[in-house]
Amino acid sequence: MTDKTNDGYYEAYWPRSPREQLTRKLAPRLDTLEGKTIAQLWDELFKGDIVFELLEEGLKKRYPGAKFVSWREFGSTHGGNEKAALEALPQKLRDFGVDAVMSGMAC
Amino acid sequence: MLRASAACEAAGFPTSSLTCEGFVKQAAVTAVGLGMPNIPVAVVPGHIGTKTPQELHDAILNVTMDDVVNNLTVTPAPIAKAGEPQAREIVVKGGFRAVNQYFVEHEYSDGLPIVPPTRDAIDEFLRYTDRDPEESLGTPLPDKRSATIWSIAVNGVMAGCRPEYMPLLVALVEAMCDPNYGVEHSGNTPGADTLIILNGPIIKQLGFNYTQGALRDGFLPNTSVGRFWRLYLRNVAGFLLHKTDKATYGNTWRVVLAENEDLLAKIGWEPNSVEMGFKAGDNTVTIARYTGGGSLSSVSGSTPEEMLPYLADTVERFNNWQITFTTSHGMGTLRPLIVISPIIAETLAKAGWSKLDVKRYIFEHARRPAHDFERQLRVWNIRGVWDLKADVLAGRIPKVFYESDDPNRLVPIVWKPEDYMIAVTGDPLRNNAYVFAQNGFLGYPTGKKIHLPENWEH
Repeated sequence: MTDKTNDGYYEAYWPRSPREQLTRKLAPRLDTLEGKTIAQLWDELFKGDIVFELLEEGLKKRYPGAKFVSWREFGSTHGGNEKAALEALPQKLRDFGVDAVMSGMAC
Repeated sequence: MLRASAACEAAGFPTSSLTCEGFVKQAAVTAVGLGMPNIPVAVVPGHIGTKTPQELHDAILNVTMDDVVNNLTVTPAPIAKAGEPQAREIVVKGGFRAVNQYFVEHEYSDGLPIVPPTRDAIDEFLRYTDRDPEESLGTPLPDKRSATIWSIAVNGVMAGCRPEYMPLLVALVEAMCDPNYGVEHSGNTPGADTLIILNGPIIKQLGFNYTQGALRDGFLPNTSVGRFWRLYLRNVAGFLLHKTDKATYGNTWRVVLAENEDLLAKIGWEPNSVEMGFKAGDNTVTIARYTGGGSLSSVSGSTPEEMLPYLADTVERFNNWQITFTTSHGMGTLRPLIVISPIIAETLAKAGWSKLDVKRYIFEHARRPAHDFERQLRVWNIRGVWDLKADVLAGRIPKVFYESDDPNRLVPIVWKPEDYMIAVTGDPLRNNAYVFAQNGFLGYPTGKKIHLPENWEH
């Protein structure tokens, strides 16, 4: 079917597919950071080593009982070994008695 | 980074994701694909790479730290799922202009007019595959949509492909969904674009250009298949500019590079498909991501020894920041691609040199002083805690990178000769070449065989 403008007539299909990922719940939040153990996860990019030093310094002032597990304990969370690194994370976090995680850097 | 956070949240650990200001929108969209649309981020104002130490100190302690505390102690509000059409839903009816306007407005198009994906057109594509239209080849990030045969046909129509390209398009999406390729990185800031290398009899059967004008638009199969790749990344993988595609500088899609297999057979060199693990004569696609590169004009000489110094020098120069993929961070995944014209390949082969001989030469000669290598990444780029000696002593990279303490020692830019890829195509009678700067694991070379339908010959 063609109209007078030669613009045609089309019934066009959606070019996407439905998302397959179901929505997942976040972990419960903490009541305070005081006395808690916080892990630092780093992709070894964008000065994260300096950022974590600053955050550790600032958070310790606000929560003197907070403890930190360095990014050095976990290795890079990015790079060619990302899949294996992420699979190993939950157990490593449990081994270190971690309560919460700071993860960087998205830049 | 956000993928790491999602893994922690799923395991029961609350997270705060440290995110530069320009990446907050990307994080929000990416979080949907990870199934955690309300995963919280702590904002770093501006960009971390340009701050003075004092500016960084102030930004982190005055802004980011409060976000971190909130992220870890306050439950983020739920975010409602946005409504979308259903699979196989007709989303617009009307004339060519109306359809195209709708597709642009809904971010389904790259900005050029698309061919409206109507049922008849889609069915024509589906006739060129034996696979079930509902079969899913994977769920590529960031959107995690099902990469169905149907969706391949729809986007193939839109790109202006011919229906008989369908087997090739299916192979491309299989490659896109291969975890070794790393499609999830396709929206990273350096803006690499995928190059498709085609091998096999299908080059001639479908009329791909493999001679003069390689890599230039102007030939329907080369151009439209390249466009299909970018449309599929947009519509099914979910890479959208100003959202999940954070390319600082990108390219228009790359047209398909088809090898000159007649020449390769004549000189006794294996095609790229064999390097990728397939049999000579197989129809294959190979994909990898590259941030540019450049051409070498007039590679002169009548022997390998006369020609290859120029090539090796250019390989070293054109692979600059990409050497980050050569370090332990990149697990040695840097795979530069060297495209040479037939007359160069013929000259090298005439002297009895194989492809591997050429790669060995490039490996030995495309080198830079160790202090330059380290400065590029540690001082100029983004790495703060890395050096070649430490990587070698920890057994993370080969010993060739630390054979002495001389900062002027020459080190290679890849781990081994075989990391170089060589393709032969272009003007048969012009001695030019092109070097592509590959992006390691952020688009690792991945090959797939093209499976033809039973009725292909008809």
